[in-house]
Amino acid sequence: MSGTKPHRVRDIFVEGPIDAAFVGTSIAKHATRTDIGAHEIFLGQVRADAIEGRTVEALEYSAYREMAMERMTAIREEAFAMWPSMTCLHVHHSLGTIKAGELCFMVFASAPHRAAAREAVAWVVDRVKAELPIFGKEILSDATHVWKVNRSVDPQGRPTDL
Amino acid sequence: MEVLLFGLIAERAGARTLELSAASTSELRVRLAERIEGLAALSYAIAVDRRLVMGDVPLNGSEEVAVLPPFAGG
Repeated sequence: MSGTKPHRVRDIFVEGPIDAAFVGTSIAKHATRTDIGAHEIFLGQVRADAIEGRTVEALEYSAYREMAMERMTAIREEAFAMWPSMTCLHVHHSLGTIKAGELCFMVFASAPHRAAAREAVAWVVDRVKAELPIFGKEILSDATHVWKVNRSVDPQGRPTDL
Repeated sequence: MEVLLFGLIAERAGARTLELSAASTSELRVRLAERIEGLAALSYAIAVDRRLVMGDVPLNGSEEVAVLPPFAGG
């Protein structure tokens, strides 16, 4: 759990789903940091959406890793500037095939008091979803697929629904 | 220059990269449309050196250029 430095580029990507046991281990690793009074954790789970009579069975994630890491570093720095009391911030996102019901995204913030941790997590989740070049193919029950979209960009690259 | 393709765009192109020459991002959009069928109907953004660019930006051929379909993280 090292004293988290906002400037360090970390690899947020993990191959496959995020194991629930990993979440537990992540919490346990903070036991020695007795200046922490609050943890806030967001976990994203793959939802079995119904799309025109078919069901999403899995999401297949890919990413432009280098750009995603640079964006994540900038988001981290901004988060620590906005919530300077935050003790640490951990972000993990899955790549590859994640089945419905499995975890694919984790944002974990710790702080002396709950407000900073809670606000930072909500903010970081939104920023990651909007700004990291991560792509998701929804694999449907009839073996076809559709591409998941968090936001749209017009042909000039401007977001159309932010 | 080698242009990086991702997600739906890579699927449509049938490749993860395309070798193209373009002096600007506007010209790049024209070259991409010539190579990727149905591109005009798709939403995509261009990143130059890992930053999204808006409007027309000159390219000298040494940049890292990527074509990005809508993001779907989380």
